[in-house]
Amino acid sequence: MRRMIDLHAWLGMASGLALFVAFFAGAINVFHHELHHWQEPHFAEQAATPMGMDRLLERVTEQYPDARKRLYLLPDDDDPGVMWFESADSDWVTAHATDFNAEGVHEATPRSALADFINELHFALGIPNPGWPINIGMTFMGLISVMYGVALFSGLLIHWPKIRKEFFALKHEGNMRRYWKNLHNVIGIISFPFHLIMSVTGAAMGMFTVVAVLLGALVFGPQLRGVITEQTEVWSAVESQGNTVIMPRMGDVLSAARNELPELTVDWLEIRGYGDAAGWIDVAGSVPGYVGHHAHVVLDPTLGPLRVIAPGQRSLNFASLSPVYSLHFGDYGGLLVKLLYFLLGLLGSLLFVSGNILWCERRSDRTGPGRSSAFLLRLTLGVCAGVVIGVAFSFLVSKLLPHTPLSGLVALAERGVFAVILVLLVAWSLRASPLRFSSQMLRVAPFCYLSIPLLQTVLEGSHAWLEADNRLINLVLLAVAACLWVVRRQFRKRIRQAEPHPLWVGKVSEGDPRHLTDTEREADAVASDSAR
Amino acid sequence: MRYFLGVLLSLPLSLMLIGLLAAALPMPWQGWLVLQLIAAIVLWMLLALLVALPAKTWPPLIALVVGNLAAWLVLQATPLYGVGA
Repeated sequence: MRRMIDLHAWLGMASGLALFVAFFAGAINVFHHELHHWQEPHFAEQAATPMGMDRLLERVTEQYPDARKRLYLLPDDDDPGVMWFESADSDWVTAHATDFNAEGVHEATPRSALADFINELHFALGIPNPGWPINIGMTFMGLISVMYGVALFSGLLIHWPKIRKEFFALKHEGNMRRYWKNLHNVIGIISFPFHLIMSVTGAAMGMFTVVAVLLGALVFGPQLRGVITEQTEVWSAVESQGNTVIMPRMGDVLSAARNELPELTVDWLEIRGYGDAAGWIDVAGSVPGYVGHHAHVVLDPTLGPLRVIAPGQRSLNFASLSPVYSLHFGDYGGLLVKLLYFLLGLLGSLLFVSGNILWCERRSDRTGPGRSSAFLLRLTLGVCAGVVIGVAFSFLVSKLLPHTPLSGLVALAERGVFAVILVLLVAWSLRASPLRFSSQMLRVAPFCYLSIPLLQTVLEGSHAWLEADNRLINLVLLAVAACLWVVRRQFRKRIRQAEPHPLWVGKVSEGDPRHLTDTEREADAVASDSAR
Repeated sequence: MRYFLGVLLSLPLSLMLIGLLAAALPMPWQGWLVLQLIAAIVLWMLLALLVALPAKTWPPLIALVVGNLAAWLVLQATPLYGVGA
């Protein structure tokens, strides 16, 4: 049992901070699609009605030959978009219908990239990928997910014998450490299945490249690469014979796809070989009512069906791959499941904070006062506060900057303000008293999230609440503010009722941690400070 | 260090054990590649957990190294590597 506790604590401490970032960003990222709409600025004087999907495709493929090879069309009644890989920039480019001027020429418009930033923060800690064959941030998070899985299994072995007793034991019993421990155990027990899903699917996605390379090297040989492509691609690569074809209208493409699969709801279209007779169109979307809901209808340019991949009509590989994604992203059961994932994501963040705090206090108790435990506690508090408040400021910048002359810098500023706040708060946390720092951060954080919907209401008026996606994101932000408020209340209540661990107060130096009277004095000061 | 090495050495062993399972089952390995990936990840987690159980540090790590070598040798006797694509 002792080994299990050591393993659980070691793995939890090694992966806890990365998991906090992934879970907090992931909780918001559950609403990734809605956030894409929320981030678009709304001005009182809107531009003229943008072009439709067909005209957009014509314009993009005329001006960017790379887009003819492979492009993704994002259907949207108001502002459809096209995404393609631009070989000159070695990067994916997105163009929306509203980015084209009256003459139909594409003018690269600076746009907010908040949803993509939150997504990157979730799956790669925001570590940029400079186009290497392996995504460092994503692979790192995959490894973290494996460690998290081992910590989960060891946690289950530790708590299984006393699971029923611990389920009802959220008490402090005059001891702050006991409170953190009980809180950690209760959250862990309640959300164990969710965490198991997240660790396995997260590891499968994050470690895919490493596992595929090793499987090829050790087990299946060089043939594996071709087999993976064959088993996971919806249709084979285009082998052009040089014959051109007039592309069908996208409305007809969607009708043909629905004809093949009437229950299909379309998310995007992939077009390979635009204008080439050997090209194909993949209409990708969902069939509601299934956990593995992903579906594809592949059509040739004359709208003849090439392949249908849907629940009940797909290979075992597609049938196993689809739930990996949907179970991870929580997009299989409508708004209710999304809200559940959001809540469990926030609870997960609390699980990792409480786990790290427990580890620091336990280590300090076992080995005596030391700088490393104090440093790790302060680092934990600094990173957590930095991420929570940094994300809030990214949201604020995303809404505010498009209404200023600095609108061209919005995507850069969203990332920059997050990084600056994270670094500043970590630096501050390493110098300040942990108790005082936590109290101050918990006082500020709810207001940061409360101010985002307020700012949008001031800037964009009723649009902030009348449009469905805007309303949902604003309610989610208010829910984050409310959750932070509850954490603050509980934190203050516990300070009043129970003595904090000596690690939470003052500097760690000779003679520290301070004796009980100092601890009590500081706790009282923070409590009365908060009550004011 | 022990836990770190345990996590590191468990990965190739879990992949090779899944490879052996693929060789043993009477169905084409290409048909359930995604399930192999998921099973390998779960097995990796469980092996890393098992390595932490014994009281001594080195025996489980040596067992992992020996297990990796043995699995690799047994894999050479299967028709998987480079065959049957």
